[in-house]
Amino acid sequence: MGDSQYSFSLTTFSPSGKLVQIEHALTAVGSGQTSLGIKAANGVVIATEKKLPSILVDESSVQKIQTLTPNIGVVYSGMGPDFRVLVRKSWKQAEQYHRLYKEPIPVTQLVREIAAVMQEFTQSGGVRPFGVSLLVAGFDDNGPQLYQVDPSGSYFSWKASAMGKNVSNAKTFLEKRYTDDMELDDAVHTSILTLKEGFEGQISGKNIEIGIIGADKQFRVLTPAEIEDYLAEVE
Amino acid sequence: MEFKMAQAAAEVPPKGGFSFDLCRRNEMLSNKGVPPPSFRKTGTTIVGLIFQDGVILGADTRATEGPIVCDKNCEKIHYMAPNIYCCGAGTAADTKAVTDMVSSQLQLHRYHTGRESRVVTALTLLKYHLFNYQGYFQAALVLGGVDANGPHLHTIYPHGSTDTLPLATMGSGSLAAMAVFESKYHEGLTKAEGINLVCEAICSGIFNDLGIGSNVDVCVITKGHKEYLRNHQLPNPRTYVNSKGFSFPKKTEVLLTRVTPLEEKVEVIEGGDAMEE
Repeated sequence: MGDSQYSFSLTTFSPSGKLVQIEHALTAVGSGQTSLGIKAANGVVIATEKKLPSILVDESSVQKIQTLTPNIGVVYSGMGPDFRVLVRKSWKQAEQYHRLYKEPIPVTQLVREIAAVMQEFTQSGGVRPFGVSLLVAGFDDNGPQLYQVDPSGSYFSWKASAMGKNVSNAKTFLEKRYTDDMELDDAVHTSILTLKEGFEGQISGKNIEIGIIGADKQFRVLTPAEIEDYLAEVE
Repeated sequence: MEFKMAQAAAEVPPKGGFSFDLCRRNEMLSNKGVPPPSFRKTGTTIVGLIFQDGVILGADTRATEGPIVCDKNCEKIHYMAPNIYCCGAGTAADTKAVTDMVSSQLQLHRYHTGRESRVVTALTLLKYHLFNYQGYFQAALVLGGVDANGPHLHTIYPHGSTDTLPLATMGSGSLAAMAVFESKYHEGLTKAEGINLVCEAICSGIFNDLGIGSNVDVCVITKGHKEYLRNHQLPNPRTYVNSKGFSFPKKTEVLLTRVTPLEEKVEVIEGGDAMEE
């Protein structure tokens, strides 16, 4: 893979037992825009800031939350182009699973496959780890699920989680606000309030993105108009 | 590194295309008198027509294995995309495999582009695949759907050529069905007229060809909407079934009992002499 000079793996262990490249990848994630996810009793919500580099950028062309299958969606913190690559691989994995087993891929299976891809890139020659952490939200026969996948390839199931710039404040806020019997609408309100905590400037339907999946098992991204409605309810 | 790669290249089988390795073996077997295995075919009539609001596809439901009907109610109208369906005639495995594969590819394409699939995309994917296999993939298809450019109807032949027509028929009953179409089709059919015409065409196949039979499936595709009418007509119901059902005895019946005592032919020796040496 590549020139023989670069065929060694860039992720080699340091004397202290750490993989320094992965630590740096996590730093890249930590300086990305805040994103969060909340698992409610009857659904899951994921949300992220959508701060664009300039007011001249057409914000309708940027979509940070993507649909992987009709019942699984994903959001990220970190490097956008790396996210695109992972989304394309996930689409293909999900479709291959469906072709072989004639059933929609369960959320845990898809998470495992994405995590395996991310791990591959920490143990191959001439490549670097992905600079993104993902929040995968899905609803299948095992109910609503929320998973976080890190650049190292490790994944965790969360009731509520946050990543990116404001992570410690956001997580503290979520810990206080989270209840096990939350409904999906409450979860959307909580996620808006959490984003508002660390938001610089005026929050609106155009600079945040929210994706929800309910008992109908259909993942969808809310339109700016719908987000404005929720924002009005919160204030 | 290079030595390993050369070795790997020698071991990797050729990618794609048909592997003709077993043809020699098959020839040898048939020379020795071994009959080739029969495969399940869909004798079939499949039809499609364009009406004023979209496309109507129709198919029969009989699958044959030689002279035997192996499936009285199989599905020949395959899903390709929410707005595109494809009827398949020929070898059942081939039609199912190729439509499944292209349906998968169309789904990935929809994720990449964020748009509804177009009928020409499905057409091109199918056509290239069939051409690559030089006709060995025995699938004759009628592809129909409604997309951003309007309603489309195509026929695809096993060797990879295609036609674009307002009315199409394929399969062993295609002549019977086309005869019905040619005499009754006109532009601007309504949905009810279209469905009737499609059913008539399939029925002409059902009643006049042995490879076609059982029921009629219809699929109506319009802009933003589709109706899959499975078993829309059942012109071959089972009749003369005994309404009382069948009664079988609950256990093996005893018809005759005769006891025959065995005659003793063995002499039993008294005493222990026999076992002593």
